[in-house]
This record gives sequence, structure tokens and C-alpha cells, in this order.
Amino acid sequence: MAFYFYWIEQSAFSTWLRESPSLLVFPTLLLLHTIGMGFVAGTNAAIDLRVLGVASQMRIAPMQRFLPLMWSGFWLNAVTGVALLIAYPTKAFTNPVFYIKLAFIALALVNTQMIRNEVFRDPNLDERPVPRKWKILAGTSLLFWAGAITAGRLLAHTNSQLLTESY
Amino acid sequence: MRYFQLWLESTRLSGFMNQARFGWPICACLHFLGLSLLLGTVGLFDLRLLGVAKGLSPAAMHRFVRWGVLGFAINLITGTMFIVGKPDRYIYNPAFELKLVFLLVLGINVLVFYSIVHSKVAVLRPGDSAPLGAKIVAATSFLLWIGVICAGRMVAFFIP
Repeated sequence: MAFYFYWIEQSAFSTWLRESPSLLVFPTLLLLHTIGMGFVAGTNAAIDLRVLGVASQMRIAPMQRFLPLMWSGFWLNAVTGVALLIAYPTKAFTNPVFYIKLAFIALALVNTQMIRNEVFRDPNLDERPVPRKWKILAGTSLLFWAGAITAGRLLAHTNSQLLTESY
Repeated sequence: MRYFQLWLESTRLSGFMNQARFGWPICACLHFLGLSLLLGTVGLFDLRLLGVAKGLSPAAMHRFVRWGVLGFAINLITGTMFIVGKPDRYIYNPAFELKLVFLLVLGINVLVFYSIVHSKVAVLRPGDSAPLGAKIVAATSFLLWIGVICAGRMVAFFIP
């Protein structure tokens, strides 16, 4: 694997992402990744809190309108995340916490799709009390997104190797 | 400012933040969780007032705001712990100063919301458009919270 990390890190694009002194390159990448995180996790958290009983006087169905915002945040983070990986492949792939983060994101995405299928596509949504199954899905959603954020944040504190010096 | 910095550095909390192995990372994780909670609750409430998901009742949705306050409280505490831990990184930092200015304007914006706008928002029904004043307050809140995140994220790149 070291060869591939080295090869990516030596590429012009990776070097530019890492070494450009412009605030519009690496710092902006991190900034967009943070804003995307806020919208993905925040929108999901709002839906989860509503399903769990917060603001229970409010209908759930119109919250679908926030899903495009959630997916915009997700795709912003997919793109900026890949760019951050191109900048520092060794740093991420040699850190076990990075795989934990990916696992949490995968679980969270499956959970989000299940909420869409179970909750938002229910023809009787808002016509009856929230079923227990939905509450469990909302609880696991909060857990998975919080796990993804925590693991992601810990990447900055747990990496052992920054770059591949040679292969 | 220099005495303030030295005093902060002499506190036991500052010693804890610098010596405890997990002090800083745990606060950083909580700070990002708080940010997401705040953006997901207050940010979405702002968007409703601006006309997104108008089927939601603003009066009922206002219940979300207390969860945003929880997110803000988490970030106020963890943020203070960062400043006490390494005051020199923050108190002379232009990005951090900009963040404080944004927070100050957001505080005024909250006062404007509850003193002038809230009574007009509380009577809105699902499907109703918010009055212009409420939209201005909501837009200010939404944009400045994103500004707070941007300035906060830039702090690391403006350490003096």
C-alpha cells in the first residue's frame, strides 16, 4: 500500500492541496467539510429528535423538505473528504479510527434510508402515534452520526504517520 | 491581555487541558457535536421562517430551539476550556476575534427575535409565510451561525 500512498502524495494535485499557502485551499477544504458535517448530522438529528418526541405538536411529513439540504451536506463532504484523502492518504489509511469513521457513516446512511422508507413513505405518517420501531431507528441514527463526528474529530488526535517518506 | 493570558495559564483547568491526555480531544469532539446540534435545530428553524418546509408549524418547531441552546451551552463550556487551556492561541487571534464579533451580533439578534418578532411568529400556522422582520432575523441567524463555524474553523490557521 505504501507505494500507492507515496504515488498519490507525490502527485501535483496532492502536493498542491497540502502545500498551497492560500487559505482558499486546505483551510477551505476543512471548513467546507465542517459545514457539510453540520448539515448532514444536524438535519438528521432534527428528524430523529422529532421522531423521539421533541416538538411533538409539529407534523413530521414536511420535514422531508430538509432532506435535500441533508444530502447536499453529505455530497459536499464526500467530495471534500476525498480531496482530504488525496492530500493525506497515509495519515488516514494508517489510522484505525478512520475505518471506524467510515463504518459509522455507512451505518448512519443505511439508517437514514431506513427512516426515509419507514417513516416518510408511511401513508399514515402524522395520523397515529409514533411506532416504537421508528423511535429505535431515530435513536440509532443519533448514535451513528455522533459516532461518525467523534471518530472524524479524533482523526486529528490519533494519527501516527503523516506521509509516506519512501516506498 | 498579557496578564489575562498568564492568569488563565496558571489555573488548574489550564493544567488539566494541557496535561490530561484526553482532555483536549474529548472537548473537541463535544464541540463538533454541539455545533451540529445547534445547526440542525436553530438552523432549520431559521430556514422554516425563510420559507423552507412551510408545512411545519413555527410555534411547535420553536421547541427545537431549546436543543440548540443545549448545543450552544456545550460549545460555550468546551470553547472556554480551549481558551483557558491555550489562551495565547485565541486571545490574539483575528479569526477568533471575528468569531466573537459574530457571536455578539447573534446575541443581539436573539434579543431582537424575542422582543419584537417572536409574538408574530408564534401565531403563524402551517403553510403561513413569516413576516419580513422575522425573515431578516432568521437570515441573520442562519448566515452568522455559518460565519461562526467558518471563523472557528479558521482559528487554527491564524494562531499568532
